[in-house]
Amino acid sequence: MRRGDPDAYAPLVRRHAPAAVRTATFLGAGADAEDVVQEAFVKAYRALDRYREGSAFRPWLLRIVANETRNLHRSAGRRAAREAKAWEQVAPLLAGGRAGAAAAASTGRDDAAEALEAAERRVALVAALGRLATPYREVVTCRYLLGLDEDETAAVLGRPRGTVKSRLHRALRALEADLRAADDDRYRQEVTHDG
Amino acid sequence: MADVHDVHDGLVADLVALGRSVPSRPVDDAFVRRVADGIAAVDGVAGVSPAPPHHRRALSRRVQAAVAAVVAVVVGALAVPPVRAAVADLFGFGGVLVREEPGPAPSTAPPPPGAPSHLTLAQAAELVPFRPAVPEALGDPDGVEVSADRRVLSLTWETDDGTVLLDQIGARLDYAFAKSATGVQFVTVAGNFALWFAQPHEVVVLEPDGTPRRETARLAGHTLIWERGQVTMRLEGDLTRAEAVVVAETVAETVAD
Repeated sequence: MRRGDPDAYAPLVRRHAPAAVRTATFLGAGADAEDVVQEAFVKAYRALDRYREGSAFRPWLLRIVANETRNLHRSAGRRAAREAKAWEQVAPLLAGGRAGAAAAASTGRDDAAEALEAAERRVALVAALGRLATPYREVVTCRYLLGLDEDETAAVLGRPRGTVKSRLHRALRALEADLRAADDDRYRQEVTHDG
Repeated sequence: MADVHDVHDGLVADLVALGRSVPSRPVDDAFVRRVADGIAAVDGVAGVSPAPPHHRRALSRRVQAAVAAVVAVVVGALAVPPVRAAVADLFGFGGVLVREEPGPAPSTAPPPPGAPSHLTLAQAAELVPFRPAVPEALGDPDGVEVSADRRVLSLTWETDDGTVLLDQIGARLDYAFAKSATGVQFVTVAGNFALWFAQPHEVVVLEPDGTPRRETARLAGHTLIWERGQVTMRLEGDLTRAEAVVVAETVAETVAD
């Protein structure tokens, strides 16, 4: 598609907007996610001439979305502050979600206990994600939370595929170790309280 | 090297579930309008006039060429303007075109043809321009075949429910499958858009110029089509929708970097 046919662009917008809003949200755009995506679509349209025919549209668009999301927190100052601000938008969304509803909906005691445990695991996982360094959290977010494949993740984050692969590997190992340590702490606390 | 998924199964499943627990929703008309307004405002500033007619012709030509070069899926009863559908699907779906066509749907479909096993997966991987993928849910395939033009890799499994076929089609295709069917449904595979064909439908191979090669037409059964990176995946067999999605979501790469 060439620039100059906005009508033909509308179906593209409809198709890719949900994934784009999700990407912006998970990368920390918060309440501005739709605005970010809207801006990204306008930029993508203007840059259609540079879009390489035959390559996939989605990763190309999501890359623009990721960059726009980063720009959103520019005013927050230093890089660490910007990244912290982005994660603050995501963590509550992930930690809340449907877990509470599931606990409330369950009637049997076993179900309730199970739902509670699932909710606890979920909170622990989100906390561990929060402790992960940003470059690692970003690959995990794209690959697993957003369900992109490795090539798309590489395209969206603007990193070589090999880097994505190795970061994923290390991120998963770090998360496993962190979750185990957090679990041990909790167990020690319980023992202390009981004794 | 083992896929990173293998050693962190539980964690990966938790992460995927965490992502999915945050619902995704479609955008409304107002959103699409705001994008259009944004484009109009930018074009106004840049002094670009509204699209002259020749742009539209150029678009149709490109779409025609694309249709000839991609997988085409033709479905019962004309409803979507073909150009629009083609543009959307061209970008969205590794070149799957969903076009609705009049006519009754065929009633029954024979099982998919088995691929004679004269290749190993490793041999096939050397022939095709993409990395072959295997669904863990099905395990090692019983049959491996690569098309003469090396664009399509076909894997088959002989199961208790008959033959299951998985075609993997490189994004840049010289020919395509065309289909006619009713009852196409949109589903998701690992969060991505996918198409489910519950009804038997006709599968036709297209020549590079877009003309269907009728002699190769055959009836296909339940089929799931989704995109995986630059490769279009097509799973066919006596599977329910849920089973097909599960199989699709267990696809893992066979060849590491």
